[in-house]
Amino acid sequence: MSADSKPLPIIEVLNLKKRYGLIQALKGISFSVGKGEIVGFLGPNGAGKSTTLKILSGLIPADSGEAKVCGVDLAEEDGEVRNHIGFLPENNPLPEDLRVIEYLKFRAMLKGLKGSRKRDRIRIALDICDLERKVSERKIGNLSKGFRQRVGIADALLTEPRLVILDEPTIGLDPRQSAITRKMMERLRGEVTFLLSSHILSEVEACCNRMIILSHGQIVAEGTLMELQKEFINKTVFEVVALTKRIPLQKSVREVDETCELLQDEPVDASGKKRFIFSTDKGEVVAESILKHLMGIPKLRVFEFQIERPDLETIFLRATKKNWEENDLLGRRARRFRKE
Amino acid sequence: MMQRYWVILRKELFCLFISPATYVSTFYFLALLGLGFRFFIESFSGTNWILPPLSSLALGLLFGAPALIPFLTMRSIAEERRLGTLETLMSAPVNASSVIVGKWSASYLFFLMICCGAYAFPILLSIMFPEQALTLGFNKVEHWIGGFIFLMTFGASFSAIGIFSSSVTKNQMVAGMLSFSLITIYLSVMAFSYGEPAANDNLNSFIDFFAILGGSLNEGLDKINFFAVGILDIQTIIHQIIVVFFFLSLATLQIEKIRH
Repeated sequence: MSADSKPLPIIEVLNLKKRYGLIQALKGISFSVGKGEIVGFLGPNGAGKSTTLKILSGLIPADSGEAKVCGVDLAEEDGEVRNHIGFLPENNPLPEDLRVIEYLKFRAMLKGLKGSRKRDRIRIALDICDLERKVSERKIGNLSKGFRQRVGIADALLTEPRLVILDEPTIGLDPRQSAITRKMMERLRGEVTFLLSSHILSEVEACCNRMIILSHGQIVAEGTLMELQKEFINKTVFEVVALTKRIPLQKSVREVDETCELLQDEPVDASGKKRFIFSTDKGEVVAESILKHLMGIPKLRVFEFQIERPDLETIFLRATKKNWEENDLLGRRARRFRKE
Repeated sequence: MMQRYWVILRKELFCLFISPATYVSTFYFLALLGLGFRFFIESFSGTNWILPPLSSLALGLLFGAPALIPFLTMRSIAEERRLGTLETLMSAPVNASSVIVGKWSASYLFFLMICCGAYAFPILLSIMFPEQALTLGFNKVEHWIGGFIFLMTFGASFSAIGIFSSSVTKNQMVAGMLSFSLITIYLSVMAFSYGEPAANDNLNSFIDFFAILGGSLNEGLDKINFFAVGILDIQTIIHQIIVVFFFLSLATLQIEKIRH
């Protein structure tokens, strides 16, 4: 696709800053999200995730910088662009004394839906979120957390939004309820852009195309899981289960890659099988070459071979570690300076 | 924005109608007011009351407002702030002023409905005892209209005070107490300055203007003399509109402040 015909990104954020009193919540972040993407927004507590999401949903203004949704600058719009945004705030606050259907009708009318379109959209939103008729007649105050969360998501989907912002949508949900939320996102993948903030990294890993990692109001990492793995995990770790001893195996491995290190070896069972864990700087291709080489050695029996891919948790910890230490150091210095 | 205002108004009215607290407070308020009105009418001939007897109902409603208005307004914003639903509400394409005016309109309309309920007492009396009602002057339409407009005027400003009180705290009890205190202070100022000579009407400077403005706000209660006989005092109406505008603006600013 040429640069000219490239569609406008749904979200464009440029040098966004926000301060709450003495705390600089956002220190000039920039990113963009394309149509139909599901982007995970990660970061430790207090990183500025919720602040960014609130700015993007038009709830609070930024101090400086630009935040555009569907090409419209949120600082200049009169509220209409919020019709294209579905927002599920953190903790999903809902009025306790309204019934689900009453609440959704109220929200639909507030978002400008009328008549048959209002009825259709409510029905579709209830259907997408697996909320049966029986549930829709119940008072929100009597619903379980999982159902309440689904009501919040149904509200976010009412106006056929182009962007859905979900702030911790699965917090406190059981695995089944979380799976329903993921299923809902899968159903809408490609049609709707999702910006999802979550601390449940396995969930983000499972459903997001891309991740943005925030720490202390700055973006410390951005990209697909593969890109992040390349950026933050320099070594490829692989595991071999074989019926051999340590020294001959290590020698064979080093015939292919001299830099390869043996990290660990441990017996698997009484038959003499052992699990060896190696690491190499040269990537997965070399690890695969090592496997081919080992398979070609007649005396060596390889039972298992597995390249260990670092999970998002490892990447997250590495990405936020440097920034965390820097800020913590600066904080300590500032505190010491103030004391002096 | 008008459409959103209507949506909020409808929802708020609906919430007032489904809230048991509203019914309980309305029932006790109307019951006490009805008893008071009955005893007043019974002993009317023995009092030195110079106004039409119907005005006693308007005054009863006015002095009962500090107890009633907090029940109608204290939940409206404080509860939304406590639950966090104000954030969800503001994520829709709606501005703070629509939310405030919508909520105020709902409480105000409910207050007017209660006033209508209170006016059922003289209507019942007229149906059941037509001769006595005639003696008490219940047949004069201007007395009914004047008294009701007096209530409409002050009900609007008291509801605005209630909405403002609800916007400054997350605790609805605190909002209720604040609302009660502010309305009581306002009524006390009016009650203590009742019968005092009016401020000078010469508009020579801003100071004179504010003196008249303050004077008229203080002397709102004196104007019952006009309203009770069906004479509308436009100055009082305008001044109460200013009070409404003032408190609703403060509430709107408060919501904007929370957002920032």
